[in-house]
Amino acid sequence: MKHAANFLAAYEMPRPVQLRRNLFAAFFPLMKLLPARFMLDRAVDEGLLKQGGHIIETTSGTLGLALAMLSAIRGYKLNLVSADSLIDDVMLRRLTSLGATVNIVGDPGKTGAQIERVNALQEMRRQMPTAFWPHQYDNPHNRQAYGRLTEWILDRFGQVDCLIGCVGSGGSLCGTGGFLREMFPQLTMIAVDTHRSSLFGHVPGPRLLRGMGNSIRPANLWQNMIDEVHWVGALPAFAATRQLYRDHAVYAGPTSGAAALVAGWYAQTNPEKKTLVILPDEGHRYQATVYDDHWLALQQGWPLPVPSGPETLERIEPRGEEAWTRLAWCRGSTEDT
Amino acid sequence: MRIGTGRATGHHGELLQGVFEGSDGRLHRGLMTLPMAREDSVATFWPRPDGTISTRPENRTKAARAAKLALTHLGLAQAGGDLTIENSIPVGHGYGSSTADVVAAIRAVADAAGTTLRSDTICRLASEAEGASDAIAYEDQTVLFAQREGRAIEHLGGELPPLIVIGIRALCAPIDTLALPRARYSTFEIEMFRALRGAARRAVLYQDPRLLGKLASCSALISQRHLPKPQFHEFVQLAEAHGACGVQVSHSGTLVGALFDATQRGLEAEILPFMDALQETGRRKITAFAVNAELDFLS
Repeated sequence: MKHAANFLAAYEMPRPVQLRRNLFAAFFPLMKLLPARFMLDRAVDEGLLKQGGHIIETTSGTLGLALAMLSAIRGYKLNLVSADSLIDDVMLRRLTSLGATVNIVGDPGKTGAQIERVNALQEMRRQMPTAFWPHQYDNPHNRQAYGRLTEWILDRFGQVDCLIGCVGSGGSLCGTGGFLREMFPQLTMIAVDTHRSSLFGHVPGPRLLRGMGNSIRPANLWQNMIDEVHWVGALPAFAATRQLYRDHAVYAGPTSGAAALVAGWYAQTNPEKKTLVILPDEGHRYQATVYDDHWLALQQGWPLPVPSGPETLERIEPRGEEAWTRLAWCRGSTEDT
Repeated sequence: MRIGTGRATGHHGELLQGVFEGSDGRLHRGLMTLPMAREDSVATFWPRPDGTISTRPENRTKAARAAKLALTHLGLAQAGGDLTIENSIPVGHGYGSSTADVVAAIRAVADAAGTTLRSDTICRLASEAEGASDAIAYEDQTVLFAQREGRAIEHLGGELPPLIVIGIRALCAPIDTLALPRARYSTFEIEMFRALRGAARRAVLYQDPRLLGKLASCSALISQRHLPKPQFHEFVQLAEAHGACGVQVSHSGTLVGALFDATQRGLEAEILPFMDALQETGRRKITAFAVNAELDFLS
């Protein structure tokens, strides 16, 4: 709890960006610091994490980096499980430089090795029964961490009519939206997902766009909060990411590009709605990929212009990495459709 | 010393009440008071050199204790006096009648000593005399106030936005504030209070009654889970149907109020039918007052 004057407390907060007259963005350097810190604080409150204690988690993304930063500052031991298809050398070195131990499981099929990673984590839990597992997909504190973002939104922008964000664990969108809806029950919530993610009913499969989407359905995703779902393929996300940098100097990762793409379209088609979009991380990790023209040229289907709008679907239906689709979700669930 | 007088107003419960993170990083119980200037307590202090405090009416022990604490604070611990209190604020419904006596007594003593005290000091002394108090000493300045510690958690930096409040007493017995069990808020509620605090800052900064109304409603709904008021939801529906921008409650009292945007055109045409509709539901006592607004149709 005691984070008021802490360097990471400032780092976990976004910067405001106005992208259109009626579109505002919360642009995070590293959004996952917010839920990581909150989950650790609550674990300390509940006696699940002692001074100098041990933390384990399966992640290849920014949650791992956030946990590693917090562990370095607070003196925890951290073991992360990842897969060789998910983690790059730069991220690996950042994590180990912060003192984290990274266990990498093989993933020849490049599917994310969800089962192998969970098995490795369970084995670790057997060996270290007192270790704290944040379990970001199901831990309600992941969602509840976003009270601090909601405070920031209300303080700066007051009432908002529409909230747009990517979904991976569901924490940021359902957390922030849950707090905002307490005040504004009419708030429209739009989830940004990607093809072959099982979050909103696609059969899971290989995905080029990492950092959003999921092969499983986390408990922190509350489908019945969502009014509209967009599936953005990797190529329109990459194109939108570059455009976001070129037009607004917002150097963001490709999941932010996907969210900004959907938000720009929504704000343009609904000029009377005050819209807020969550942009979860910066672009440094993608210097050699999304921000490298040579790498992009090697991607099948590239170049692709930034699409002007999505294709509206009548039912759940995956498309290719070049496609951007939308479906009126109407606060329903996969079981209804 | 000379004869001193002091005044303090009542309030109509709170716009926001919950737990809030302080500058120490810890959680503190806190509230934002909704002041009601039309009822007040006026205290007069006649100094005597013998060190004892007597009150009229008799047995206003909290006010007497507050007067003594104020004397001690001013370096006049050996002084005493007679304290007369005239109070028009109803007792026991959450209008802050007893805190108004205490604050008026402290101000009367300070006046008798030829000085005025800071609001922060008055609140600290009041809380020491009473055990818990409200932020009424800050008058129209908006403060997030730790009622059990007697100090501000945050100065929101301005007056409340212009509001009209139409209030009733819910049909339940008067409540002893200090005897109430403390609400045990969930993690979600604690984080919701954090969000509401952000909305409160903006509502004060931009003098936005509508945003203030929304956050007050949200706080009232959370309160309803901890100290339910009968017919609360019926009141909310009626208020919304008549254009109210929110509702508020006294968290440790029986009051429920509808908040109207005092800058709204044609407000009279909304409020008068609302008051009639409240009358029809069988309420005898309706309180109507303005906060930081220039409207005369209520009088």
